[in-house]
Amino acid sequence: MEWYTGSTDTPPQIAKSRLIWTTPNGSVGRCSVRNISIWSKRMSSAGKTVNVGLFLARKFLTAASFGAFAWASVAHAGVSQPTYPKSDLLLVTTVINATNPYMASWIQGSKDLAAKLGVPVEVVQSNGSSQTELAGIQAQAAKGKKIVLVMNPVAASNVPAVVQTIKSNGGYMVVWWNMPPGTEPKTSGDHFVAFGTYNGITAGECGAEHLMEALHGKGNIIALPGVLDSTVSQERYQGLLDTLKKYPDAKLLDTQPANWDQAIALRTTQQLIAKYGDKIDGVWTADDAMMLGAYQAFKQAGRADKVKFSGEGAYPPVIDLMVKKASNNAVVASAFHRGYMAAATGLLIAYKAAVGEIDVSKLTPEQRHGQYAVGCVTPENAAQYQANGGIPPGWLDELIKNPFKDLVGGPVVHTAAP
Amino acid sequence: MSEKVTEEDKESGGTRRAFAGYGELVILVFLIVVFSILNPSKFPTVANLNTILNTAAVPTIVGVGATFVVLMGRIDLSVEGTMGAAGLAYVLLSPNSRTGTNWGFGAIVVALALGAGLGVATALVHTRLKVPSFIVSLGMWYVGLGIAAVLFGQEMQPFLSDPDTTVWPTSAPLGVSNSYLLALVVVALGFLVERFTRLGRVPYAIGNNEGVALLTGIPVGRYCIYAFAIAGACSALAGVIASMSLGAGAANVGVGMVFFTLAAVVIGGTPLSGGKGGVLRTLVGVLVLSTLYNGLILSGVAPSLQSGVSGLVLIIAAIAAGWSQRDRLRVVK
Repeated sequence: MEWYTGSTDTPPQIAKSRLIWTTPNGSVGRCSVRNISIWSKRMSSAGKTVNVGLFLARKFLTAASFGAFAWASVAHAGVSQPTYPKSDLLLVTTVINATNPYMASWIQGSKDLAAKLGVPVEVVQSNGSSQTELAGIQAQAAKGKKIVLVMNPVAASNVPAVVQTIKSNGGYMVVWWNMPPGTEPKTSGDHFVAFGTYNGITAGECGAEHLMEALHGKGNIIALPGVLDSTVSQERYQGLLDTLKKYPDAKLLDTQPANWDQAIALRTTQQLIAKYGDKIDGVWTADDAMMLGAYQAFKQAGRADKVKFSGEGAYPPVIDLMVKKASNNAVVASAFHRGYMAAATGLLIAYKAAVGEIDVSKLTPEQRHGQYAVGCVTPENAAQYQANGGIPPGWLDELIKNPFKDLVGGPVVHTAAP
Repeated sequence: MSEKVTEEDKESGGTRRAFAGYGELVILVFLIVVFSILNPSKFPTVANLNTILNTAAVPTIVGVGATFVVLMGRIDLSVEGTMGAAGLAYVLLSPNSRTGTNWGFGAIVVALALGAGLGVATALVHTRLKVPSFIVSLGMWYVGLGIAAVLFGQEMQPFLSDPDTTVWPTSAPLGVSNSYLLALVVVALGFLVERFTRLGRVPYAIGNNEGVALLTGIPVGRYCIYAFAIAGACSALAGVIASMSLGAGAANVGVGMVFFTLAAVVIGGTPLSGGKGGVLRTLVGVLVLSTLYNGLILSGVAPSLQSGVSGLVLIIAAIAAGWSQRDRLRVVK
């Protein structure tokens, strides 16, 4: 009964709510974590009583009615997991909200891939709620098609329940950004094909290194991380701290979490300007939305041209600022990755497992849990990221040939959180 | 809650009622003294005063509208949604990086109309279909966010392209930032309405005893619509100012404002049951919270402790605000 493991283990994982991964653009409320734990418990007990039979029945059904056709129709017959014809599939992509540039890019990547593959795609909008996310995925699963899912979880604790849903459905899934400690695709069975993420430490270092370079290794900086207990934010902040160790003349004046939010970053930076005034030479932020808020605060204070800024995520308006060398070349760096790329990569890996183009049992450990390439945009190279949201031409076609083309290594190794 | 105004009120009159208004002022002065001692060189400066007032501008504008609603014993939780919808409508109709429109002041008018419209819709459902304002406005919060999400679309985030617009809220040609001056104008208008018009007096009657108000022929439903329309328009104006200040359109431009303004209204001394209080008290309540927000950061309180400390101070402030009436025979729910 291997496919239970993730689900029955859920309550202890949820108890460690501080360890939960949050995404770069979403926050995890304590309330929703608790709610989802109740939900997960229900899911697991439901699984115990009902889903074994259902699962076995489905397995036989699959083998009996679809099996022969599916196996005949795919290019790479002979894979170990159950496969389906393309017409039997429904692509599903989840976003935390729909009003954030990262999520918009995520949706676009999913839609572009779906168009290339010729398979319908549905977007599940979670509106920041774990419950909504879970209910949305379950509703899609109930439509009768096999689900091919890429999930950007509102909270890491959602993952085991979704794995259970996808297993019952017979579909395949890939998770990006957040996964609870102890959950691994490899131990969750073939239906949870892979987990992917971007290395937050590398991303944090991209901003910090260029900030130090622009300040000639000395000066006072302030830092705006995201939500306090977000692992992604903690990784990026760790990248900043690691970098600062190399520059003894640089001083970290203050750290104030701005919750990934442009408006909060603006308000917080206004207070920090009141506190430190002309002492601030540089601003490190864990995300470009917060950097735009901080930049606006310094612009209003008339000091944007005397301060250097670094961000993360290379939002198009930030790339524009770098290309224009606005405010005396104020923005010095932002790590580059795209929701477009994450969504398309994740969706494609799950799709290839579903149609039998990859054999899940033969994937390497890095392919099942790995980190993908993070770029570093600076004023020097910013122009080449301007067109097409920074996605290189032909990137999607290359990806379809090799869904692991941007894979750079295994799991991100964590040092102690600050 | 009808027991609130009793014979006792009349007897205790004079001195007690005179002191009743000072709880929130005492807490404000206390915070100013404490933070000045902790940061003698940073906190009590003109520059920092302007930072605090600038932070207070948006919640003050929201607070004026919220006060009218709370005075009637209702609640308007739709603030953040209304701010997002109106803010984005304003940005998209002003010169921006996405659309080629420039409606000038028309953009602000449309935003205010949108906010007032959402308020009226809340009030109509609340009064005609007899649904509690709490749940209707909670729903309207998400309707507002939904409108904002549709306006935001999936394209690039719209940025205001006129630099003069984006620095207007924080620039201070008259010594105090424009946004706070505007907030003071809104407070003054609110005060005039509250003190000198029927529209201002009736909410007190309704908040005090709605049954009696109905029996005396006051059209409670109609005044509800007025109050929610004012609240919606105030939230919309706050959304416009916040978007200007942000220099961009963002659906969550009002993030945190529901907590900030409702807490400020209550700390100011307008109880959620309604019937007493007023916009001037809300003005002080907002100053308490923005001073606290500013002071905690200036004092170097660890970020992980800030929310806990501000919650505690909020409770203490609420106790202080209601201190003079604590032994009175009144119903607190």
